[in-house]
Amino acid sequence: MTGLFVAALIAWLFTRALLGYPKPTTHYRRLLRGEAAFVEAACGVMFPAGGAIPLAGTEVGAAPYLDRMMDASKPRIRALMHSLFFLVEHASLVFRGPGRGGRRRFTRLDPEQQLGVLRGWETSSFFARRLVFVSLRSLLAMAYLQHPSVLRELGIAPMAIDTSVCEADLWMPRVGADPSTIPWSVSDVNTPRDDVEPLNLDSPLHPDYAEDSS
Amino acid sequence: MTSNPVHQGIDLRVFARYRGDFTEEADVVVVGSGPGGAVVAHGLVEKGLRVVLVEEGPPIPPADFEFDGGMSMARTMREGGLRTTRGTVMPTMQAIALGGGSLVNSAICVRAPEFVLDRWSRDYELNKTTRTELDPHYDAVGAFLGISPTPEDVQGARNLLFRDGCDALGYSSEPIARNVRGCRGSGECFTGCRSRAKQSMDISYVHEALEAGACVLTSARVENVLASGHRVSGVEGHVVEPFTGRPRYRFRVNAKVVVLAAGCMATPVLLQKSGGLANRSGQVGENLRFHPGVAAMGTFPDRVDPQFGATQGYQSLEFIKRGFKLETLWAPPTIFAVRLPGSGMAFKERLGDLPYSAVWDAIGSCNRSVGRVRARFRGNDPKLSWKLHPEDVGLLMEALYRLAEIFFAAGAHTVLPGVSGLPEEMHTLEAADVLRTHEVPASSLVLGGNHAFCSTRMHGDPRRGVVDESGRCHDFENLYVADTGIFPECPSVNPMWTGMALAHRTAGCIADRI
Ligand SMILES: Cc1cc2nc3c(=O)[nH]c(=O)nc-3n(C[C@H](O)[C@H](O)[C@H](O)COP(=O)(O)OP(=O)(O)OC[C@H]3O[C@@H](n4cnc5c(N)ncnc54)[C@H](O)[C@@H]3O)c2cc1C
Ligand code: SF4
Repeated sequence: MTGLFVAALIAWLFTRALLGYPKPTTHYRRLLRGEAAFVEAACGVMFPAGGAIPLAGTEVGAAPYLDRMMDASKPRIRALMHSLFFLVEHASLVFRGPGRGGRRRFTRLDPEQQLGVLRGWETSSFFARRLVFVSLRSLLAMAYLQHPSVLRELGIAPMAIDTSVCEADLWMPRVGADPSTIPWSVSDVNTPRDDVEPLNLDSPLHPDYAEDSS
Repeated sequence: MTSNPVHQGIDLRVFARYRGDFTEEADVVVVGSGPGGAVVAHGLVEKGLRVVLVEEGPPIPPADFEFDGGMSMARTMREGGLRTTRGTVMPTMQAIALGGGSLVNSAICVRAPEFVLDRWSRDYELNKTTRTELDPHYDAVGAFLGISPTPEDVQGARNLLFRDGCDALGYSSEPIARNVRGCRGSGECFTGCRSRAKQSMDISYVHEALEAGACVLTSARVENVLASGHRVSGVEGHVVEPFTGRPRYRFRVNAKVVVLAAGCMATPVLLQKSGGLANRSGQVGENLRFHPGVAAMGTFPDRVDPQFGATQGYQSLEFIKRGFKLETLWAPPTIFAVRLPGSGMAFKERLGDLPYSAVWDAIGSCNRSVGRVRARFRGNDPKLSWKLHPEDVGLLMEALYRLAEIFFAAGAHTVLPGVSGLPEEMHTLEAADVLRTHEVPASSLVLGGNHAFCSTRMHGDPRRGVVDESGRCHDFENLYVADTGIFPECPSVNPMWTGMALAHRTAGCIADRI
């Protein structure tokens, strides 16, 4: 009888914690299906639609971005990121979120409740909980602000610059590439001089941030 | 060798060119190509010595710079830029790239004040480390790198408002001197200077060292210093894949002299992992100190357009003897977002204020706050512990108050000091008074510590320090350290120029002795 009860409890916990995530439309190299769902949900709550920047957190491709970032990170950092997502996604199973049905994982709560959960982390009197919040918000903010139209909307996107070629560029290949691929020759060298014109705020934006880039 | 005919003779090895295990012979092997290592390598090759410079990171050209702060950190910083101290939790960044920290730093160059060097000299038995003794070395580096004050036309409103605020209060301020030639004011120093104006080590000292005949091994991680008795004979390690750090081939460099310039965190780890070298004093990895930084954001009625202007163009040394330095700041918005309070729509609205805002910071000369660097059981990342002393918390709070004062004097209507437990926004100087009257724990501050020192400190007494004034380890005849780890205390100002001046002196000493 006890065995049956324990088995039922485990099954219940398993379903609540790990199953029922939507199948992702993108292939992720590092993010698990549940983590991708969590990242998208948390970014949506952190950056709701409207306000100073119309774009919502759900529209910026937060999960693919963080997947790329994890892929570029060392295993120890990746492990920390996995733990962070797991912790915030599942903590509300133990410390219930606000309102009815608050004892569900983050992605199953409604947006109001999700915001309440995040505020709980943010305003906690425990430093460790605040630290978790700041870490999560930093990652989500990176994901949000990397989207070209967000910086363009704010008017602080990088400007186009004709990158100078200095003498060192003649021996510096792209990371991982062979020196034979270096595109420059000595006639390309145009090391900046002290009397170079400063950038102008009306200068065109960097092509990655221009209107038609996204 | 590159295949570019212009650069036949340049001996730069990049990851794609390694084919198997190898051994090199040298007069001097220098580990680390940051400001310390690059200056030493250049100084020695100029004297006609055979120098091999070994750098774990790859060369990173502008085509590989990332605008996005997060991705940039993941690629150019150790532990993806997420390295922190324990004890008092504080992020601390160290670069992994040819040029070390100079690739991502703001190029601020300040000579250590006379009163600081006098103290070093007196308290650490370093008679030749006064300002008068170091000035010729500062001068040589300054002339080589074109260190000069930031011109007005690339300051932008973000920097000039700081000047205006200081002027209104009667505080001294000045344009920051930088190792820059032809700055265009793009404010992108943190992610790499696309204009090639910043004279980072990869395009300045390392480039000249290559031209003069140095061999530079990039993507090569030194893991062991070879020692026997009182002498070292070289280093060994692995060629590592860029960004992933996966080891490939083994290498070894046999040399008459070894110079460790792997940075304040990596040099002690390397010594510890090489069997506890150079540690008869017990000081390797001890005494770790930082200039912890705090920042405040001020919002103005008119657009500030903070994306334009030298990354850090203005500073005030008004409070330097009190223990802190004030300066302007810019970084990718993703980095600043970390400091903004709130969540949901409130957070988003705050992001909307960015174009009307400036961020200014203060760095504290926190000699009372001490920590240590330890090697981890596995891998080469350090385990860092450090604690912000309660009196230094007060110092940084006072610095935040001064920043708020300058913001209001410059016309800001809102200041966000970023201190947990205090009001998120302040609209008057009276409201900001809590910053100097209210006691808060260290954990309430949003800190950052990118200036790190003292982990292999210089001391005239071999029982109390790791290296002597020339940078030579007390315990070894031919092992030197030439990074900011040798500082005996905080320099009170941005450390790069002092690190390079000391490295310049070390190069001269080695050349004389070899
Ligand atoms: C974001 C940022 C901004 C800053 N801004 C300024 C500023 O404006 N002005 C200023 O004065 N200071 C600034 N600093 C600090 C300054 O950059 C450092 O103090 C300076 O780079 C230290 O020089 P270093 O040679 O001691 O070490 P590093 O610059 O850290 O160089 C050490 C090098 O050694 C390499 N290395 C480490 N371990 C190994 C190994 N085992 N094998 C081979 N190579 C290895 C590293 O990859 C690195 O390239 C800033 C720092 C940061 C992070
Ligand atoms: S502000 Fe821009 S142009 Fe000037 S040195 Fe920094 S990155 Fe280069």
